[in-house]
Amino acid sequence: MVSNLILLVIGLPWIGALFVWWVGDHQPRWQHYLAIGFSVAAGIAALALLPLYSSQPGLILSVGGVFGDFSFVPDGLGVMLAAIATVIGSLAVIFSKDYMHGEAQLGRYYALVLFFIGSMAGLVLTSNLFLMFLFWEITALCSYALISFYNDDPKAVAGGIKALVITQLGGIGLLVAAVLAYSYLGSFDLSVLLKDANRLPANVLGILAFGSLIAAAAKSAQFPFQTWLPDAMEAPTPVSALIHAATMVNAGVYLLARLYPAFESVPFWRDAVMLVGVLSALMAALMALVATDLKRVLAYSTVSQLGYMVYAVGAGGVLASQFHLLSHAIFKALLFLGAGAVIHSVGTRDLRQMGGLKKQLPFVWLVFGVGALALAGLPVLNGFWSKELILEAGLNGGPQWMFGVMVFSAGLTALYTFRCVWLVFYGEPRSHLHAHDAGTAMKAALAPLAVGALLSWLLVGGLSEMLAVTLPYHEIHSLTIGEMALEIFTAPATWIALGVIALGLAAWWWRSRLQLFTEALQGVGRAAEQSFGFEAINRAVLALTAQAAEDLRGLQTGLLNWNILAIVTALAVVIALLALGA
Amino acid sequence: MTFHLLNIAIVVVLSLIGIGLYGLMIARNLIKVVVGLQIATKGAILAFVLAGRLASQVDVGQSLALTVIVADTIVAVVALALAVQVRQKFGTLNIEALKTLRR
Amino acid sequence: MEAKTALTLLLALPLIASPVIYILGRVEYRFLYRRIVAARWLCLLVLGVTWFPLLQLRVPVLEEGAVLWPIGRIVLQLDGLGFFLAVTVLGLATLVTIFSFQYVKGEPDEEKYYALLLAMTASMIGLGCTRDLFNLWVWFEAMAITSYLLVAFHHEQKSSLEAAVKYLVQSAVGSLLVLLGIALVFMLTSTLDLESIRPLMANSGAVGLAAGGLVIVGFGVKTAMVPMHTWLPDAHSQAPSGISAMLSGVVIECGLVAMLRALGGLAEASLAWGALLLFFAALNMLVGNLMALRQTEVKRMLAYSSVAQVGYMLFGFGVAISYGVSDGAAGGFFHLFNHAMMKGLAFLAAGALLYALHLSQGRHQPLVLDDLNGAARRYPITAFALSVALLGLGGLPPLAGFMSKWQIFVSGAEVRSTPLLWLVIFAGLNSVLSLGYYAPLVNRLYRREPSSVVLQGRPIAILMGVPLLLMSLGSVAVGVWPKLLSWVTYPAALALLRSFGFH
Repeated sequence: MVSNLILLVIGLPWIGALFVWWVGDHQPRWQHYLAIGFSVAAGIAALALLPLYSSQPGLILSVGGVFGDFSFVPDGLGVMLAAIATVIGSLAVIFSKDYMHGEAQLGRYYALVLFFIGSMAGLVLTSNLFLMFLFWEITALCSYALISFYNDDPKAVAGGIKALVITQLGGIGLLVAAVLAYSYLGSFDLSVLLKDANRLPANVLGILAFGSLIAAAAKSAQFPFQTWLPDAMEAPTPVSALIHAATMVNAGVYLLARLYPAFESVPFWRDAVMLVGVLSALMAALMALVATDLKRVLAYSTVSQLGYMVYAVGAGGVLASQFHLLSHAIFKALLFLGAGAVIHSVGTRDLRQMGGLKKQLPFVWLVFGVGALALAGLPVLNGFWSKELILEAGLNGGPQWMFGVMVFSAGLTALYTFRCVWLVFYGEPRSHLHAHDAGTAMKAALAPLAVGALLSWLLVGGLSEMLAVTLPYHEIHSLTIGEMALEIFTAPATWIALGVIALGLAAWWWRSRLQLFTEALQGVGRAAEQSFGFEAINRAVLALTAQAAEDLRGLQTGLLNWNILAIVTALAVVIALLALGA
Repeated sequence: MTFHLLNIAIVVVLSLIGIGLYGLMIARNLIKVVVGLQIATKGAILAFVLAGRLASQVDVGQSLALTVIVADTIVAVVALALAVQVRQKFGTLNIEALKTLRR
Repeated sequence: MEAKTALTLLLALPLIASPVIYILGRVEYRFLYRRIVAARWLCLLVLGVTWFPLLQLRVPVLEEGAVLWPIGRIVLQLDGLGFFLAVTVLGLATLVTIFSFQYVKGEPDEEKYYALLLAMTASMIGLGCTRDLFNLWVWFEAMAITSYLLVAFHHEQKSSLEAAVKYLVQSAVGSLLVLLGIALVFMLTSTLDLESIRPLMANSGAVGLAAGGLVIVGFGVKTAMVPMHTWLPDAHSQAPSGISAMLSGVVIECGLVAMLRALGGLAEASLAWGALLLFFAALNMLVGNLMALRQTEVKRMLAYSSVAQVGYMLFGFGVAISYGVSDGAAGGFFHLFNHAMMKGLAFLAAGALLYALHLSQGRHQPLVLDDLNGAARRYPITAFALSVALLGLGGLPPLAGFMSKWQIFVSGAEVRSTPLLWLVIFAGLNSVLSLGYYAPLVNRLYRREPSSVVLQGRPIAILMGVPLLLMSLGSVAVGVWPKLLSWVTYPAALALLRSFGFH
């Protein structure tokens, strides 16, 4: 049963991808319905897998050797993330029916989205480090291909390749960790790594821990790799919602959470993880404050929220981080899809051209508002509970100053969220945009997400129970809703955070009165607009590589004598090296 | 006496190869390039004869040398055929003209 | 069929068929109004039939170690390595022949193409089947000579002529250095049998080192080790596309196999051979990728990428022969096969597009990147095949290249040495760098606005598409199930390690 369900969750979207591709672009209706059918079926399979959680492998395909056995474990972490990937995936596909209506090359679009959904489910369900790396790279491939879906747009192409290159660069960290783990443990199995981590030499464990951190930071667009995510916003919006908000970018956090017990004792590792999270959360929040592109605001906000999760893992709050992951996946997918509905109806992403859309898009206003309140962390939406849990875990497990920065960032979150909602839906219309409200399929995708953002916190009991039972090395305690509510409302952290969030909202409300304050912050704003110099570093590396490549080409003179000289020189060098070696 | 002869042979082998490779590195005329290649290969052929002698397997050494001569002749023929074509198509045998494929 | 008969047939069939095809082609040309039909089908038929003795040999080779066939002083020996090479070569040659039906149709000297292709295939199979150092060189030289002629196939084109001249001269210099190395070994050991040479080279001192250096650099020219690679971009880009696929897919790898065979004999002379290969591995990866990064001509870019890919194979083999790690050798062979499949696919797909966009309209001009804009709309299968090949070469899953690179990286880590771990990281960085030129090309293919050349392109014949489809499927199948090839790669790895004296 379990093995079949695992096969279905991964296989259904993949088979669907083949079908959509097969049907061909001349039958777009079929492509829409096939994609919806297969993704929804995968979602149902993943939901059916939820209650069957266990820490025992559910499916093993024997391969052996340097690839290990292809094993899949439906533990709490895995089934939850697989459900997120497939359910939000199917909602994004349903949304696409309206959003991508009439677009060319739909086959490529749906095939890649479905391929991604299956791979993401595989990534979280496998317990083999090699397979995890494999799925890790497949998701990067899909992400790249979908970001540059509009291949005629040079910005889309550049964004796709940037995302691919940066995540691959980070991926080397995971690669090194996996091959090293294999060379010392003789196995790629995660449970072996978790069990025997203390048997590894300290330096090897250190490489493993920091390699994973690098990989996770690149995948989750954390400091110092955060620059690819905003540029990934050239993708069609449902893709941004699915891959760049709700699922793939969570893979980094997932990796850290999964391996936390193994690396917990590595010196400085936890501090490094928390620092990465804090820096990302703060910097991205500042950048979200000044961005003028609706999707980029949401992208920065994703980086910032992922920073919270990373911070929580570093502070030892694995449950808190995963809880926030769930909340964030729901409300951020909601926000992105809502933004997609806005963009689809007004035809621009520029916040400066929007405004006053509340009347024209009442439904979108409603659901976007729910998502925004959840993002801002207002009670009693799901974002509130999980963010408070994270802050509490941070106060218990990390230094005070980091907690302070995170609370400050929570205020900034409220501020930029409010600014964004205001610019889109309130005020006077800043241009004569003709807008029409979302279509049926869009509404069908948005409504469940809005309900989720309101109510998903009720799942904390089941979630914590699942994690507590199936993750023997993580020492997670189950937590009922009542306990959580009690814990959160009696913690001073909550009231501090709520106060700061209120301050953030107030800051937007009275923004005209705070002229002095805003002027003082203009320097920070300018730096944030330049993404704190990270774009410049990217560009410099790129230019340097291109220059080296161009210069090296000069050596290929095309003259035969020169080529012979190269051979003779090589002979001389080889003989000299051998003579020195002997 | 034999020792002396062998020394001379070794010097001849090395200088043939040296001259050949040097020629390959400086000659700008395609025919001269082929000649350079031939000189160097003759050094290698002589090396086999010499090696056969030193390994006290003169017959093997010489048969190897003969095989190399055959292969070397084919290469030379192909090379010269290409040179003829180059002369026809490019109007020159100067290898400076053969620099269209570069970078 | 007895093993020895099968081995005879394996070598003799294509060798004998080669001149027959040439004569048949000439006769057809004379009497059939200058059309050649039977010759090319005979070529395909012979290649098909050659599979039978090869598959007959599967059991004796893979289960009993090796099939020996002494002829006078020379011992022909088909071990796991030879078997692996024969499978790879024959597989690629068969597909290239099918592809070439359309590609060289109506070219002058069409019959020579098939005759030489078959002869080259035969000499590469022979190269894997020998235990005699000098015999190894003979097969190697036969392969080289046939490939010179094939590179110069379009000899009415200036650029092809230029490429052939450079290729010939540099390859001949490499061959010469190999001969010197062999002469030195023969002088020291009085034998040419590689198995007998190995123990005799134990205290060979400086002469042994010199012989090894000559062999590495000499075969290194053919293997395109940097800086002996300078002929490669010219020859690979100017040869007919089927031949580019052969050159890149198997010919340069045959140089590598020949080098490993020869070094196996010299294994006792020095411990540094493996380290030297690792040094060249790093050099090849870096230079190949950087040179490819800014190319505008598709086939030339693919050629430079071959330089880089050879680096990965050298990595695997270097680890294997330094430390006796069988995963390294198996990874090297795995990558060799995958590279033959993926690079062969890339060259064939690029060749199909080149044919449809330029050659079929009588224009002999290179395929540049801009020509490929939006090619997917008119040539969906070819564009898909090219994307699969490029992304696979870049090491993305679920494609073959990812799996073999992974195996090589694992073998590098298995040694547990810090410098090798750095080399793994370096190789990983190079894979990322290589995406810098593979990915934009894929993006071009899927643009919505086709280039003017694509709009005027001719359709691609179905027969041309068949090898592309098969190889794409193969790349995906291996990428999903990596164990698919371990039945040939591990015996090859064991044979290699045994030839280096590891047990």
